[in-house]
Amino acid sequence: MAAAAVKRLRVGALAAVLSLLVLLLIALHMISGAVQDSERLSQWFVPLLLFTTLGLITLALLVAYNLYRLLREYRAQVAGSRLTARMVMLFTLLSLAPVTVVYYYSLQFLLRGIDSWFDVRVDNAMEDALQLGRASLDLHKRELLRSTERLSYELEDSSKAALALSVGMLRIESGATELSLLDSAGRVVASSNLDSDVLVPDLPDSSIIQQVASGKNYVGLAPIGDAGQLHVRCLVRDPLDRGFMLQALYPVSDTISNLSVSVQGAYVDYKESTYLRESIKFSFSLTLSLVLLVSLLAAVWMAFFTARRLVAPITDIAAGTRAVADGEYDKQLPVPRAHDELSFLVASFNAMTRRIALARNAAERSQRELQAQHAYLETVLGALSTGVMALDEVGRIETANPAAEHILRLPVRQSQGRTLDALTVESGQLTPFVERVIEGLEGDSGPWTEEITLSRGEGRQVLLCRCSPLFADGDGHGGQVLVFDDVTALVKAQRDAAWSEVARRLAHEIKNPLTPIQLSAERLRRKLLGHLPEDDRRMLDRATQTIVQQVEAMKAMVNAFSDYAKPSRVEPEPLELDAYVASVVELYRGSVPPVYYRPGAPDVSIEADPVRLRQVLHNLVKNAQEAVAEQADGQVSLATEVHLDDDTRHVEIHIEDNGPGFDPDSLGQVFDPYVTTKAKGTGLGLAIVKKIVEEHGGQIRVGNAEAGGARVTVLLPLASGDRQHTAGKVPHRPERKQA
Amino acid sequence: MRAGLACAGLLLGTLLLASAVAAAEFGFDRVEVGMGGEYVLIDADVSYDLTDAVLEALEHGVPLTFELHVQLRRADAWIWDKDVVESRIRSVLRYHPLSGLYEVRDLASGTKESFATREAALRTLGRIRAFPVIRVDQLESGEHYVLRMQTFLDIDALPLPLRPKAYISPDWGLESKTWEWRLQP
Repeated sequence: MAAAAVKRLRVGALAAVLSLLVLLLIALHMISGAVQDSERLSQWFVPLLLFTTLGLITLALLVAYNLYRLLREYRAQVAGSRLTARMVMLFTLLSLAPVTVVYYYSLQFLLRGIDSWFDVRVDNAMEDALQLGRASLDLHKRELLRSTERLSYELEDSSKAALALSVGMLRIESGATELSLLDSAGRVVASSNLDSDVLVPDLPDSSIIQQVASGKNYVGLAPIGDAGQLHVRCLVRDPLDRGFMLQALYPVSDTISNLSVSVQGAYVDYKESTYLRESIKFSFSLTLSLVLLVSLLAAVWMAFFTARRLVAPITDIAAGTRAVADGEYDKQLPVPRAHDELSFLVASFNAMTRRIALARNAAERSQRELQAQHAYLETVLGALSTGVMALDEVGRIETANPAAEHILRLPVRQSQGRTLDALTVESGQLTPFVERVIEGLEGDSGPWTEEITLSRGEGRQVLLCRCSPLFADGDGHGGQVLVFDDVTALVKAQRDAAWSEVARRLAHEIKNPLTPIQLSAERLRRKLLGHLPEDDRRMLDRATQTIVQQVEAMKAMVNAFSDYAKPSRVEPEPLELDAYVASVVELYRGSVPPVYYRPGAPDVSIEADPVRLRQVLHNLVKNAQEAVAEQADGQVSLATEVHLDDDTRHVEIHIEDNGPGFDPDSLGQVFDPYVTTKAKGTGLGLAIVKKIVEEHGGQIRVGNAEAGGARVTVLLPLASGDRQHTAGKVPHRPERKQA
Repeated sequence: MRAGLACAGLLLGTLLLASAVAAAEFGFDRVEVGMGGEYVLIDADVSYDLTDAVLEALEHGVPLTFELHVQLRRADAWIWDKDVVESRIRSVLRYHPLSGLYEVRDLASGTKESFATREAALRTLGRIRAFPVIRVDQLESGEHYVLRMQTFLDIDALPLPLRPKAYISPDWGLESKTWEWRLQP
């Protein structure tokens, strides 16, 4: 909208300026007519001159505005301003030089041409002719003056009638056309005219009368009558001082009169022309100067206009190029109407930007697709429970997914760009894993799969690693992709399943013969004990007792195996944790070593089978007591704790002792069946505990406390209906109480 | 070339000099308005003070036309209302170098008078006697009228080449102030 308005404004301004130029040309043409030969136009000279002057001022202002604008753009280094300035200077010089030359020589030619109309010799000749005419007439006038003076002597009468008669006679005698006698005031006393119809004499003007009255007679030429025939007027004073004046009008001969009129006419015309020469020069010079000024200003304005029009596409291209350089690839320029090289250039530029825009769009589309694929891959990798790492050819980490971090327990993704060796610096437990991968990289042995066991603080971690080489676009090696799973739980589950099978078979194969053995031993004892001598009887008694006890012990062991092997039936019910744990600990009141309890989960309920959970707590407390039984200061402590984080809403039950703690090397096998450090025991205690905890959806962790001693933590989920604790972590209660 | 520069100078000064053109060189020494029989008559003495440029033109044979503009309007007339009377007395002053006489010719009647001196010619030119403005019975009784007179040198009657210079030169802008007289029959 704004561009259209600006365009309309420009077109309007252009039309206005062109109209002004046309009007100025018309005005100049009319001025030219006014100063040359047009009577009608000459009356419009001043308005035309004013209009032309105003038009010139307007043009000058236009040129000044354009110049100011160009200077401002030039200083601001606007695109195209330098080229415009050069073109304006060039156009101005191209138009100024010929116009000025033409003006100069036209003016010279005009002025000299006008001057050539007049010649000094002609001027002198005209003056001479006039002087000759004057001399000739003066001679004639002097004679007539003397004649008139003589006539005045002949007037002797005193009466008015006699004077009139004398005047008439004297007129006839002198040959004058009219003879008049005037008094000293110029009033007619007597008069006689050749033409009797003329009653009023032709009187001189008052200045002549005053001149004659002062004593100086007058003679001069005067056109008399309607035809203006030239006469010699003579006015003389009465030589006898009678107070009158005599005027005589003598006709000039037709020849002299005609010649005089002719000479005077020619002289007047010539003198007038001579006088008007400067005016003619002025008029023509003025007109020519106006034409020059209009031409110059119009040419300069046209220079600005043309330069801007010519430079506009180039400026647009410069601006467009800058826009393209700034990333505006779909920039389109207005194509000039004229079908010339500039319009071709602009069209080519537009075609180029269109193609660039298309290529940019394609690239952006590809990039978006690539990003989408990348995001897709990231999502897939992020959702995988399998760790994935991509390594370059020298072992630098390029990509890793969250599962890799989880499995390796290191922020691997923050180590992108670093080599695998850096991981061993952060965690020495990863050394077997790193060494094996590097070995695979260096050996270039192709795809490999291997189970790698790591020693972690809380036990072993078994990783199933698969490594495949990546190939670059060329024939070069592009690194490797490493896929690994934490199969610790799987291995353990497999092992647990195997042990369960062993226990089931053991129970089946051993328990069955135990009862007959026990029954047989008791029968032997019952049948034979009374019939044997004392020594034999004691021996039989001990032997059968031993058999029965060992069979009982084996039964207990087999039952324990059976318990461990057979799937248990959990019957959960809501339990208030602190109260429940307190009730269990209460059973150990007064026991040695002492058992302390620190409740830390008030009003927290869990869903658990109270019988099975009690078995867990008894096993753990009993193990702890046995671990510190040899110590005088041995003690066992229990504590509960609740965690209400969004993703881990659970309670923790800690059982600690101050004994020697777990052997770090055997931490990974403490939950395995038949693993025990005690002289007595089936090795199934912790295995059953772990089994029960996992049946409740919980976890069990073992380790050593920082202050020494073993530390077992049971994690159990909160009851789903427990809504009393929804925010924050309940602080530990400082008090300790002995059970 | 000097003429061109002069032209440019004059061109630039045209607007500034326009006000100077109005400087009055002519004036009414005496004006009498009276009743003469059936007419309202004017007697006036006009002084014509010519500038050197004008005198030079006259001495070189350029005829000068003088115009006395007489205008009678109703006092309450609007600008577009017609004049009651509008008369122009035009006379030409010309110099004859051979005879040394100054000729005054009334353009309306065609009568000519010759004078030995320019002063006498101008004096005669400026002497208006019993010029009939309007018949008395053409005036409405009780109505107020305004009689205006102005005299000036008619540039449009000058020879054509002289006019451009005369139009823009203050030497040629000769005119009197407007003389006004209120009438009430």
